[in-house]
Amino acid sequence: MKTAGTMMSLGLLGTALLLTGCGPAADAAGSSAAPSTDSAASGTVTVWDYYGQATPLKASIAEFSKAHPEITVDYQAFDYEALHSKFPVSVGSGQAPDLATVDMTWIPSFAANGLLGDLTEVSQGQLNGKPMADQYSAGANEAMQYDGKVVAALYDFDAYALFYRKDVLDQKGIPVPTTWDELVSATAKMAERPSPGAEPTKYGFAVQPDTFHYAQYLFQNAGSILDADLTKAAFNQPAGVEALDFMKSLVTSGGGTYWADPSTLTAAVKSEQIGMFVNGPYMMGVLKAAVPEQSGKWAVAPAPVGKQPGSYLGGTGLVIPTGAKNSAAAWELAQWLLRPDQMGYVFTEAGAAPATSAALELPVLSAPDPYFGGQAPFSIFKDAMATATHFPYVANWGDIDSAITDGVTSVLLDKESSQSALDTAAQASDAALGN
Amino acid sequence: MILTVIFFFVPMVLSLVWSFTKYNGIAGPTWVGAANYTYLAQAPAFRNAVWNTVVFAAVTMVIGPALGLGAALLLNTGARAQGLFRSIFFLPVTLSLVVVGTMWKVLLAPNGLINQALAAVGINGPSWLEDPSTALLSVSFASIWAGFGFEAVIFLAALQNIPRELYEAAALDGAGRSETFRAVTLPALRPTLVFVYVVGIIGALQVYDQMFVMTRGGPLKSTTTIVYFLMDRFQRFDLGTASAAAYVLVVMLALLSAVQLRLSRRYV
Repeated sequence: MKTAGTMMSLGLLGTALLLTGCGPAADAAGSSAAPSTDSAASGTVTVWDYYGQATPLKASIAEFSKAHPEITVDYQAFDYEALHSKFPVSVGSGQAPDLATVDMTWIPSFAANGLLGDLTEVSQGQLNGKPMADQYSAGANEAMQYDGKVVAALYDFDAYALFYRKDVLDQKGIPVPTTWDELVSATAKMAERPSPGAEPTKYGFAVQPDTFHYAQYLFQNAGSILDADLTKAAFNQPAGVEALDFMKSLVTSGGGTYWADPSTLTAAVKSEQIGMFVNGPYMMGVLKAAVPEQSGKWAVAPAPVGKQPGSYLGGTGLVIPTGAKNSAAAWELAQWLLRPDQMGYVFTEAGAAPATSAALELPVLSAPDPYFGGQAPFSIFKDAMATATHFPYVANWGDIDSAITDGVTSVLLDKESSQSALDTAAQASDAALGN
Repeated sequence: MILTVIFFFVPMVLSLVWSFTKYNGIAGPTWVGAANYTYLAQAPAFRNAVWNTVVFAAVTMVIGPALGLGAALLLNTGARAQGLFRSIFFLPVTLSLVVVGTMWKVLLAPNGLINQALAAVGINGPSWLEDPSTALLSVSFASIWAGFGFEAVIFLAALQNIPRELYEAAALDGAGRSETFRAVTLPALRPTLVFVYVVGIIGALQVYDQMFVMTRGGPLKSTTTIVYFLMDRFQRFDLGTASAAAYVLVVMLALLSAVQLRLSRRYV
């Protein structure tokens, strides 16, 4: 296996050499063994983390190291993209970390390729002395499983709500929208344009063409991405077409502004070009850090609903990769990170939403937040989580995600009708599903 | 020699073998013959990537060297502060492409400096990187900005090596500026032109960083290039198709280099 792994490493290096003459060494091989459970909870735990500077892990690990001197934590920070690339290559070549934070949208491809260990084997179904399943919502429990195995422990969750400039709505006498129709009307009144029909230059509503946002409207319209047995695209059915037509109407009839690059959204909020958007709880922390001068002007409300409430469900999972060398100590650390008292750091350090049921009751989460005018917005995300749905766990989810994003982009840029664009995306998705 | 074999030839051979397999990097590869190449030949996404790569190479290799040559000719006139201008032109070359891409992404944002400047004179600027009709050209121009200083410095060095006697002879013969350029400067620059185009086209066909930073291959795959396509397949555990795409690129580069070398032998 070692020889095979070395050869495969060299092969990938070859691909890199072919392209640039240099580049990241990449390799892939390795066993499909589950994490070992026979090692004692001691030794070194290597942790890979993609959170960035505002990570909650560092503070928690510092306390863990004091409480568990027998375990040394080798903490390594990566940016989001780097971890996504490095994780499969390293796990495949037997260089897996013991514990990692991963985006829950990576779970399908990682799990389908055997990169994630079954946490049940190391946890025996218990988390901090209680049944693990009892400590998460039903939706979270479902999101943590792939092919009947628990492959991730949800650490923070992502479900969408409406962020809006409360001061502007109040000043203009616009009620907070609660339905799709009200959203079109409210955004139309809120947005300011240099001339009738022109693109909003102030207080626009960000209409983002990614699958996360399209899924929000799709799920609210009682639609689904794939059919029940996950073998065929279903988003091009009438519910999906109506959802996309609605997104388009936000641009054509409401105060919507097509906003494709999420990395520039904060700058647009800062310049007041955007005054309303739909996003997850982590944006609370982002706004506070990047736009402190607008403190007291923002508020959060439940996302306006179509036929029913709904949102995509994502977040960050703690995983023990296949081939982790110290999975027992890794699980010890994971349990520490998932303790309610430690999960407060998810909110206080990262501004994100801790995922366990006990953590959701932490007093810090319901404290009035001056940035949001004394509102305690967290409960809105907690409610959104209850009706949120994770993306389908199929191996080629990346191809389906890309096809949907292209279809939605095409419609919002006025290149195609919703039905035509979604049919094209459905064809690509079906091909990715092997049809 | 041993290191070359281990770190160059063995990996290349392995990649070639993988291009004939279905391989996710974890489980062992399965032999599929030429299926990956057949897929690439038929896949609209790969044809689109090839087209985008060719357009990028054409735009950058027409405008970039022309700008570089123009800048070099200006600097070669003995203008004051030649060293300062040479440094200014060369400065972008020293920047990482990630830095260049990030900078231009900010400048070209819908609410970025460029659109703000346009708005100040009453022009409603487009969403440069979010519109499929402008995204590829926008990335191309950012790349030209980043690279033409290199060409300018190479051309300047070549210009300064042209013997003064040739210009004096041309002047005695009554040649004007354009005749002197056509009859003296351009022929003397042929080896440099060949070098700039060989290196430039190879680099242009391998473009990836700018697309990754500025557009992620979008919108609507309008900036997905061959390397971006294969990196995308790589990240989706499709190493067979990724390796096949890499070898298609290798063949393209080899053919182009052969043509360029033949032309250089004929004209240099």
